Amino acid sequence: MAGLARRLLCRGAPAVPPGTRPLRQAEEAAPVFQYAGKAAKRKDRVFVWGFSYSGALGIPSFVKPDAGWKKPRRIQSTPYRLETEEKISSAACGYGFTLLASNTRDITKVWGMGLNKDSQLGFQRSRRDQTKGYEYVLEPSPIPLPLEKPQQTRVLQVSCGRAHSLVLTDSEGVFTMGNNSYGQCGRKVVEDEIYSGSHLIHQLKEFDSRVVQVVCGQDHSLFRTKKGLGHYNITSVPTKLHGDIAGVNIIQVSSYGDCCLAVSDEGDVFGWGNSEYLQLASVTETTQVNVPRHLPFKIGKVKEAACGGTGNAVLTEEGNVFVWGYGILGKGPNLIETAVPEMIPPSLFGWSDFNPDTRVAHVRCGLSQFAALTNRGELFVWGKNLRGCLGTGRMEDQYFPWRVTVPGEVVDVACGVDHMVSMVRSFT
Amino acid sequence: MAAAELAGLFAVYKPAGVAWGRVREAVETRLLRELNAAPAAAPRQRVRFLPTPAPGGGGAVELVAARVPVLADHPLVRGPRFRKLKIGAGHRLDVKASGVFVLGIGHGNKLLTDLYNCHLTKVYTVGGLFGKATDDFSDTGNLIEKTTFDHITREKLERILAVIQGTNQKALLMYSNIDMKTQEAYELAVKGLIRPMGKSPPIITAIRCLQFALPEFQLEIHCLHETQQYLRKMVHEIGLELKSSAVCTQVRRIRDGVFTVDDALPRTQWNLQSIQEAIRNCQLRVETELEKTLAHGEGQESSSSAGWGQLGMLGRNVHEQSLQYSTAATCQQCDGQQKERG
Repeated sequence: MAGLARRLLCRGAPAVPPGTRPLRQAEEAAPVFQYAGKAAKRKDRVFVWGFSYSGALGIPSFVKPDAGWKKPRRIQSTPYRLETEEKISSAACGYGFTLLASNTRDITKVWGMGLNKDSQLGFQRSRRDQTKGYEYVLEPSPIPLPLEKPQQTRVLQVSCGRAHSLVLTDSEGVFTMGNNSYGQCGRKVVEDEIYSGSHLIHQLKEFDSRVVQVVCGQDHSLFRTKKGLGHYNITSVPTKLHGDIAGVNIIQVSSYGDCCLAVSDEGDVFGWGNSEYLQLASVTETTQVNVPRHLPFKIGKVKEAACGGTGNAVLTEEGNVFVWGYGILGKGPNLIETAVPEMIPPSLFGWSDFNPDTRVAHVRCGLSQFAALTNRGELFVWGKNLRGCLGTGRMEDQYFPWRVTVPGEVVDVACGVDHMVSMVRSFT
Repeated sequence: MAAAELAGLFAVYKPAGVAWGRVREAVETRLLRELNAAPAAAPRQRVRFLPTPAPGGGGAVELVAARVPVLADHPLVRGPRFRKLKIGAGHRLDVKASGVFVLGIGHGNKLLTDLYNCHLTKVYTVGGLFGKATDDFSDTGNLIEKTTFDHITREKLERILAVIQGTNQKALLMYSNIDMKTQEAYELAVKGLIRPMGKSPPIITAIRCLQFALPEFQLEIHCLHETQQYLRKMVHEIGLELKSSAVCTQVRRIRDGVFTVDDALPRTQWNLQSIQEAIRNCQLRVETELEKTLAHGEGQESSSSAGWGQLGMLGRNVHEQSLQYSTAATCQQCDGQQKERG
């Protein structure tokens, strides 16, 4: 009643502040926007970072700016989104080039970018001169594989070495291209062969069982079949590996430089190759080991191994990472070399009393960097920061695992010499 | 002399809807009232020669010695014994927030600066509501947009929280001003002891979801150098990240360094006795925390190490110091009052 009286007494339009009821009514009448439905799917993305002038990042505007205000960007020091038409299921970084592969049945399954001086990306026909090929490919360009059934075969995995690449398909064997001076492409070494602008893509089908994983070292290739382990190196013919590895069921192989590691299903680690940096010093004093040797480490059951240029890392079943070798190993600047694996404390990977379930799920190696993926989708990197390849935003070397800020959950990462590629799923 | 023993730190529960200044004044008024209500010391007696009419008669006055109380000690002349108390406030809370609010009395105010320099984390319970976006990120602001939220699941929310924690962990290392290339930095990172010991933007050290019942949810946030409005903005940004919108309904501080909700005094206990008891209970904890951080700060080459030297004096028995200074302080007070009257 008093309110009514007030309104009658005042003349004109009284400045009455809106009560709560009109506000609430306005709120209820407001339209509701929908940005995502209940069945909204998470998107798959690719992020790249590192040295861009070789074209390995696949972003041409970094090398040749397409707008006046853009400047050439030599180093991309934080993750940058690479737009791709298809969902990329496998990626591999070589020495200045990258291969991306999709698990699709379309005709275009593999894209390559970066250095192509040894035709490691196949023949990329130049538009200016139809007879020559591009030496640097700045954008992800399709690689024409000579498939018999291009609309049925699926590409399972790709792998890149120093100047050669391997593509693994599900029914048509392995395709190799690039430099063959050591027989790493699986064909006879031809003296004085010119690899630049070559159309040759060799197909390998003669294996005793299906090839499950391909790995490229610096100038050699490794094939893991369902039955055993074979390699190409100066022999140009697949040779089964003997030594301690004969008869053992191998579940994973890794190599990037000159040293190789294999993990058996029982959790044992076998190594061979170059041991100048104490990678195999626990079993032998020699620097070159031709025959695989079992590495007797008492660190528990090993799930995954990653071999870099001078340092190695393994991941155990409990989710702990062990490193050994030479270089920046990840335990501070004081640990430069060790022949026996040392564990990196899990608190550096985000484990704490608040998050006791965090553990490392995968471990990968570049030439002198390491990358670890946790089960929460976080990416940790450490090692030599060559031309910004760590992705931390800084140009300094990183002596212990450091988180890389990626706008999404990192599913897989491929490390190269001076760049890295990651496959990421968006959060929502 | 109850004011002499009143020196130290205690925590008070600030209710929502009240400014922190008013809480401080309310505590001060309450304490002053109780201190002044206590029976005062007996007035001084003085022998005076008062003129009284002589027994003889008519006009003659003789002086008689009498012991009379000194008028200067009369309460109506002196006024209340305590007019002001030095009460300082620790980390402030804004009007809409509630929770643990640390206050210091007397010489405890010096400990306030030292506790600030310790850079301890504070823990908040933040309540949020999906579906609305307002201009000041709280549910009482002007509505900007309404969105759907039925696509949000607890799993998505926890994924976003994990990312927030990860990026803030990185910020923790970056703002701590330690050279990442040293072995010392590696060892501190392993133990999880790296913290910014100077000014830094707000950093969230831990965040997790306590309750999730669409459209409401509740988070527990451990943070450093934050403001409550920053936490509300964080809730808003979580809503945006989940492709919806969110407003903050409640910000409640449940821990400020060493003081928890259990130590905080509710409004019914803002009296002298409870406050004295609270100071006594928390004293030991405050001292150990200061000593721990002081010892750590000397070993670390941090930029704010210059301020640590003064800590050596404190952390000792606060009582001794307060007793020494309090008598001087009350004397000064007396002198001051006399001068004012004079």
